[in-house]
Amino acid sequence: MTAARPLPYGDPAHLAAHQFLVEEAALLDAADYPGWLELLCEDIRYLMPVRVTTARGAGFDSLAGMGHFDEDLYALRKRVQRLATDHAWTEDPPSRTRHFVTNVRTFRHDGDDLRVESALLLFRSRGDTREADLVSAGRTDLLRATPDGLRLARREITVDESVLRTQNLAVFL
Amino acid sequence: MLDLSSIVSQVRRGMIPAHVYADPEIFAAERDRLFARSWVFLAHESEIPDPGDYVVRRVLADSFIVARDEAGAVRVMFNMCLHRGMQVCRAEMGNASHFRCPYHAWTYRNDGRLAGLPFHREAYGGEDGFPRAGQSLLPAPSMATHNGLIFISGDPGAPPLRDYLGDFAFYLDFYTRQSPAGVELRGPQRWRVKANWKIGAENFAGDSYHTPHTHASVVDIGLFREPKASQRIQGALYQAGPGAGTTYKLPPGAGNEQSFADQLRYVGYPDAMIPAMAATWSERQRALIADSGFMPSAATLFPNLSFVHNWPQVDAAGTVAPFISLRQWQPVSARETEVLSWFAVDAAAPEDFKRRSYRAYLMCFGSSGMFEQDDVENWVSITEMAAGSMARRLNLNSRMGLTSEGKPLKPPLANFAGPGLAYRGFGEYGQRHWLSQWSDHLSREAR
Repeated sequence: MTAARPLPYGDPAHLAAHQFLVEEAALLDAADYPGWLELLCEDIRYLMPVRVTTARGAGFDSLAGMGHFDEDLYALRKRVQRLATDHAWTEDPPSRTRHFVTNVRTFRHDGDDLRVESALLLFRSRGDTREADLVSAGRTDLLRATPDGLRLARREITVDESVLRTQNLAVFL
Repeated sequence: MLDLSSIVSQVRRGMIPAHVYADPEIFAAERDRLFARSWVFLAHESEIPDPGDYVVRRVLADSFIVARDEAGAVRVMFNMCLHRGMQVCRAEMGNASHFRCPYHAWTYRNDGRLAGLPFHREAYGGEDGFPRAGQSLLPAPSMATHNGLIFISGDPGAPPLRDYLGDFAFYLDFYTRQSPAGVELRGPQRWRVKANWKIGAENFAGDSYHTPHTHASVVDIGLFREPKASQRIQGALYQAGPGAGTTYKLPPGAGNEQSFADQLRYVGYPDAMIPAMAATWSERQRALIADSGFMPSAATLFPNLSFVHNWPQVDAAGTVAPFISLRQWQPVSARETEVLSWFAVDAAAPEDFKRRSYRAYLMCFGSSGMFEQDDVENWVSITEMAAGSMARRLNLNSRMGLTSEGKPLKPPLANFAGPGLAYRGFGEYGQRHWLSQWSDHLSREAR
């Protein structure tokens, strides 16, 4: 179903998809997680496979059946609810984060739906003595056209490390 | 200069010199006296089911290939070429009949035997110059398996693994043998934390006391059917052989087989799994759950393999699903640890259960788990504080459950079905049990 070539950068669908990702990043960096949940479809799948180091030609570079995330809306809501409690110590004091979104490519999917590939660099700084963390990842998103605008129906995060260097994933990518 | 005997004597009284959680000299002693000798977990057989399958795992700086050879046997080989010392396998998993060194192409079978080297006749004069027979990647000095768990020891004269596991083997079955099929491991998730490796190991060995506060948030959001954190004090803490762990108290049962099944249903095991659990576990193991009414939760097998079993709600309808995780605290330095976290599930479990259980695991533990996130925050902070000068003036109090004279505040449970010692309520029994073994190792000469 997916067209092989990305939409031209001037295509309104591409512009809308790009703006969606930038606005989403702004919500995450502002820690507006309830606002972020509003961007998700009811049937969202939010995936982040575990990457592994394999020989060239092995035919796989992520683990079958194991991710860092494999979430539906219930699980994402619980994570957001938790961050809003007075006891989510790992994010209190909160991290300072910056989601850099770039290399956006938009493809026509089914009907008005869009498949959007992007590169993400997350900068995360905590406290005053620790080194900041960087998480680099590619993302493949499925954006669904709804009466309220584009909504995220599926995200697969392809992290670029086999061993994460951030102390946990109390953040969204 | 490190005064190990003074440190160890403080630790044995339950007063822990804080610097042991960040001290490079202590780390060197742990490497030479503990990890050079102790049985250490590397992998599970389910990770390498077929001939040629391998994973590469480390014990501190030593890299090992854990492979299933063509005859189906598990081999653990030091990942260093006999010729110039290159890593012969630089992937972390895969399937291979041979491992070929990238430097000069010395090539090894997946059982470690040297299969060939280029220009053997021209460069070495053939078998006269370099007899190939008997040449093999260095095997781990000792290797043994239990319930599919693959352990190695740097001591060729290590006690048999089963002897080492002792009474902890009783508890190990709850995590790794729920049916004759055994468990399958998925993962591991791997991530590095700026925390000393001992802190996690101690925590899982018996720290039920941190749950009500550290993990208050998961109760706040209703992840559990009952306010579990406040129930933690009702559980029993046990120590047995080289392990120690925690349990949750289950609702009162009638002390019969029906109750055994009810208790397992209560934590979310489907009826399809319960007959195999009843048949696989001994009468005494069943009694721990049915008669004593305790369900195993977190545990640590000394030195650095921990387990967790918990049962959150995995959907808005309130479906309760249990999960098991194995996790290893792989030391990188005095101040850094690589965490390897696996999801484990009975290999014979129904697929829909495996799916629920996996989702339960992801929400609670591992790199994104809502319990683990707050644990690691504590452990990083402890390590950071332990690195300074003031920490050398502070002995951390790990004496909960002891009187000022060092006697137990209360007697062990008399009606606890499992082996070893068990106590009801909070107490740092398991942590002291772990630290006692740490002290034994650090008191011995380096290997």
